[in-house]
Amino acid sequence: MGKTTALLAMYEAAWRSGFRVGLASIGPKTGLRLHSNTVFVTARPLLAPSPAVEILKISDIESSAGSLLYARTAHDGLYDLAGPSSASGLRAAIEHVANRSDIVLIDGAIDRLATLASGDGAIVVSCGAAAAKTESEAVCDVATLTARLRVPLFDSRAAAVELEGALTATMAAEFIAAGEERQIVVGDSTQIVMSGRSLSEALARLRVRCRRALDVIATTVCAVAPERSFDPGPFLDAVAGATKLPSFDVFAGREAA
Amino acid sequence: MRRLELLDAATAELLGFDWLVNAVAPISPYGSRLFSELVPFRPGNERAAESRARQIAEIAERLPSDQVSAVRSLLEQLPDVVGAVARASLGEPLDDPGFFELRLFCEMVERVDASPAAGALGQRISSEATRTVLEALAPGRREAAGFYLSDAFDAELAAARGAYAQAQAEVDAARGREVERVARELGREEVAGDEFIVMRSDLRGTLPQGVRVVRESATYLLCALEYGESSQAALQRREAAFGRMGALEERVRLHLTSVARAHAAGLGAAARALGELDVSLGAARFSQVHHCTAPVVIREPALTFERARFLPLEAELTVAGRRYVPIDLDLRGAAVLTGPNMGGKSLALQTCGFLALCAAFGLPVPAAQARVGLFDQIAWLGTGLRERSGGLLSSFAREVTALKDILARMAPRLLIFVDEFARTTTPHEGKAIVVALTERLRQRKACALLATHLQGVAAAAGVAHFAVRGLKGIRTLPAARDLKGALDALADSMDYTIAKVGGDEAPQADAIALAALLGLDSEFVEAAYRALSQ
Repeated sequence: MGKTTALLAMYEAAWRSGFRVGLASIGPKTGLRLHSNTVFVTARPLLAPSPAVEILKISDIESSAGSLLYARTAHDGLYDLAGPSSASGLRAAIEHVANRSDIVLIDGAIDRLATLASGDGAIVVSCGAAAAKTESEAVCDVATLTARLRVPLFDSRAAAVELEGALTATMAAEFIAAGEERQIVVGDSTQIVMSGRSLSEALARLRVRCRRALDVIATTVCAVAPERSFDPGPFLDAVAGATKLPSFDVFAGREAA
Repeated sequence: MRRLELLDAATAELLGFDWLVNAVAPISPYGSRLFSELVPFRPGNERAAESRARQIAEIAERLPSDQVSAVRSLLEQLPDVVGAVARASLGEPLDDPGFFELRLFCEMVERVDASPAAGALGQRISSEATRTVLEALAPGRREAAGFYLSDAFDAELAAARGAYAQAQAEVDAARGREVERVARELGREEVAGDEFIVMRSDLRGTLPQGVRVVRESATYLLCALEYGESSQAALQRREAAFGRMGALEERVRLHLTSVARAHAAGLGAAARALGELDVSLGAARFSQVHHCTAPVVIREPALTFERARFLPLEAELTVAGRRYVPIDLDLRGAAVLTGPNMGGKSLALQTCGFLALCAAFGLPVPAAQARVGLFDQIAWLGTGLRERSGGLLSSFAREVTALKDILARMAPRLLIFVDEFARTTTPHEGKAIVVALTERLRQRKACALLATHLQGVAAAAGVAHFAVRGLKGIRTLPAARDLKGALDALADSMDYTIAKVGGDEAPQADAIALAALLGLDSEFVEAAYRALSQ
């Protein structure tokens, strides 16, 4: 999918622009080349002895790689990132890094990023040949994903069905069958647990809304994967057309027209 | 705190053992370690138990509560360096997070020493060891708490790092020139990442020199940029500089580790002293919050106290905005306790048990004054124990089995609370069994309090008889079905005082009056009174 390549491209751009950048990852991410004065989250066992880094704080948050700590690079070099396994841990880690950075970049799975809802955070969705068998399927998947993530805020003045938990395909089918015209309101868009055709139908035929909105600002594409590849140019244009978002191919150095 | 053989899990639950553990728990890893090893004082150690309780009570009295809280908040921030010190003492080099924690530890020790509470206690935890380690790690200080293996640690480090930075800059420059050349020749603004795509339609002529094709298709080429000669030479110089820098950083770590190793014993002593302070302050805070006093710990199997409280219930009632009535009791050996329903008999048993627990762990007790013995076993028998559903045994059979186990253990010094034992069999036989049990406990010189509604047990067994005074007459009857009103009226009308009474005095149950208070219809209540008079 090229998430890490996209993240590093954003990191380089931000660093060149003079921002103090903070980095976190959901799950371990090894061997990233970072510049000096970058704040990052890592696990204690992943910390290489050289180049020595400034230890800012040792947290009591656990990750799959061990207890997390916050550090700041003193020299350019290769560093490993790690991240918390819980949403509350992620919130705490982001807050800590944000206090010492101008911009925080997080590498992680989309459904773990609900913690960014209603904050200053924005989401860049990465898609690519690794996640779908055909180009059209990949385009369809990213279109429905971004549509789901961009579900608008609910209108407090209009009638609504407030859901405490997730909106599933079964529930959506029942609402459609009942001709439900009120807003169907979930906490945030990660609580819409549908994909593919079910999701497209639900979003088209129901007024699905959320209490906390996510800000999706762009997509990046990676047309090549070990098992298959798509034609980069048309793939990028198709993703841009389907998502109506600024779309970039960092491998080809292109932005969709 | 470990209850060991002192009491079983069910008794512990009834007497609020876990509540007590939470209430006195320390806050630092050192205190927690020490606390987890605390065991009850056994009979014969009365002087030590009393001495510890007095010491805690004195701390609670001498230090204002805000000073106790201030030190506890410092203790809460202490990192656990026991593992790091142990590794250092075995010669294993510490890592930078280890130095971070070690320096924080030494700094916190100084802050604890500087606190008014430590001053008032005349306690100094810092030592030559903590000061030397702190001084050795001082060049690594960054911002408020950060640690960095800074150049100040080693005269050669700055030069080595400068060489590494220079070598890295040369790599970046050489690689940058190659990337820039390729991007220019491909007609692109930049080439990002190790691999990049070149569209065949964008390609004019051949690929730039140094570009290797990883994969190709009809429309594009997936390419990688090889490292050129100048890049490779710069990389080699960087690797050499990196190795030199890494070796010097490791030299600094080894030196700092040797300082920690040389002072491992002193650091360990500081950690132990912090743990002891933490445990004492946790207990002192408990004493302050709950207005406890140091008990006189006596050699006899007895419990004598004034205005004692069962803290777990008092805490619940306080939250609910209800009144708690402390009790007095002079229990020497075995005795029978009678009184009305809802008169606080079970609570009296729990209060006795709670005070005995506090004394067993050398803690001040929640009473105006108390004389408390130490015991080998504290046991509970009868109602209150969590009923097990199902099984082959009836509730009576379960009680008998539990009693058999208690008697079989033959604890030399037994404190036992018996709450309405044998209530589920016929009153005639039930009384006989309770009398036999009371006699047995008297013969074994156990300290025992047996709550019962059965008449004549104390006299038959030859033991003291206490009674809850009971209802003083219900002043105002609540509206029908108003349970809260009924409970308020009951609390207003109940005299919870426990008094010693004559051996044959009939126990007062006040059951019919209570039934009326709780809303049974008047016809029913009158019928009950008629039946009672016959």
